[in-house]
Amino acid sequence: MLAAFDKYRHAFLVGLQSSLVYRWNFGIRAIFSFVHLAYVFILWGAAFHGESTIGGFDLGQTLTYFIVILVLQFFIGAFNEDYQISEEIRNGLINQFLLKPINYFGYRASIFISARLVSGLLALVPLILLLPVIGHTLTFPHEDWRLLLGLPALAMSAMIQFTIAYCFGLLTFWFLEIQSFIILSMAIEMMLGGQIFPLDLMPAWLFHISRYLPYYYQMYFPAAILTGRIQDPATAAVGLGFQAFWAIVLLGFASWLWSRGLRRHTAVGG
Amino acid sequence: MALMNYFRIWLACARYSVVRTMMFRFDFIMWALVELFWMVVNVLLVSVIYQHTREIAGWTEYEMLILIGSSMLMQRLLMGFFWSNLFELGRNIRTGHFDFFLAQPGDPLFMVSTRKLDLDSLLNVFIAVALIVYSANRLHLHPGVGNILSFIAFEFCGMLIQYGALLMTVSATFWIIGSQGLEGSYFTLFEFSRLPREAFKGLANAIFVWTLPVVIVSNVPARTLIHGLELSYVPWVVGVTFGWVGLGAWIFRRGLRRYSSASS
Repeated sequence: MLAAFDKYRHAFLVGLQSSLVYRWNFGIRAIFSFVHLAYVFILWGAAFHGESTIGGFDLGQTLTYFIVILVLQFFIGAFNEDYQISEEIRNGLINQFLLKPINYFGYRASIFISARLVSGLLALVPLILLLPVIGHTLTFPHEDWRLLLGLPALAMSAMIQFTIAYCFGLLTFWFLEIQSFIILSMAIEMMLGGQIFPLDLMPAWLFHISRYLPYYYQMYFPAAILTGRIQDPATAAVGLGFQAFWAIVLLGFASWLWSRGLRRHTAVGG
Repeated sequence: MALMNYFRIWLACARYSVVRTMMFRFDFIMWALVELFWMVVNVLLVSVIYQHTREIAGWTEYEMLILIGSSMLMQRLLMGFFWSNLFELGRNIRTGHFDFFLAQPGDPLFMVSTRKLDLDSLLNVFIAVALIVYSANRLHLHPGVGNILSFIAFEFCGMLIQYGALLMTVSATFWIIGSQGLEGSYFTLFEFSRLPREAFKGLANAIFVWTLPVVIVSNVPARTLIHGLELSYVPWVVGVTFGWVGLGAWIFRRGLRRYSSASS
């Protein structure tokens, strides 16, 4: 058991080293994300002009939501894991994993965790530098249950994000080019995941439907717990149940795709 | 005569792009859908905000949709005519494939800028126009021929301004290795073109309205359609167009002098 875990610990450490090599890429990406934050501040600042609240939340709470979403993207979001998996399948690099006693999902998940650790910590640098400017807008609720339920929600969100990216990467077993699928899916995920606007601002019936979809649990759900958009622990606990359901369904689907994909895969070369 | 010659070259390239697109029809449909979805996302954002507020920086919902439509229209034109070409320019300089363009029967800048058309982007031009027409209709706008022509001219200038700025950025590849991140940084900056100029204050106004050509390119055509032509914008837009295209072309030609191929 411990030996099995040790393999993935080493994969994690290799991933950590590899991510540190690309620290500037992550850093530049983080800086541009904060340029996006300027867009969010200008747009919502103008929308709140003459309105004290929108959807029951004031400007500070709304901007806090977007800042949390931005930071979460770097800590739990899937970046280019789908492309990496796709490249490994297309170039035949995946063959080496078929011959080794290592689970490919576990290996990629270990790399994902290490990469997010590096990108998340790097994203904190511009945030800390900007704190004197944006610090006054941050307004967090203080209830203890938010952290208690928010942390498992974050862990499962990361798992859902990674598993969706993993599934898209596996599509390479069937399609040569998956970039258009990924960008199409990204538009849907960003919108229904609450990265474009807080989902609770949608018409009530649409918001209600969105709670049954996996996208809701990708980003909006943990951010809503941490920023006070979900107001009681009972709703958050029910949400955790739904989130666990989607995590299991997606893991099952990923496993099914892997076994079906391998049947189509042909390893060539000496 | 030379102009006619260039037109014939462009036509040949356009024909090649159409044939190539038709060879990869599924890809064409997927990419057209991708762009359509992103356009829908932007429209939905505006619709959701206006469910809770009456105006954004003095712009009503349908005025905002005209602004979004103007921004989309210009971006689709830029992507349709120039994006792939400029995006590949950086890679070609690094790999040495840029030699191929130097050996072609025309000005290198023309040849690198016009080799490919992205038909999926051009297809979505119709969606952007439909959004503008629908919003104008809801606002009961009846712009005259002069205003429509001014709108088209401003959109054209906006496309050229963006082209100049992108060309300048990509031409940096002649000096530095790699222009990765260009796509992401362009889209991040271009987000600001979907905001009304009146929303920018202080430092943001200085950066995004007066220094970078991201707000003017969409706001001026949208305002022209909504309020009619304001003559004070004409010298501003024309000057900025010449400035950015001139700067982009100048940096490209300076870089060209440094280029020494990359083959072994």
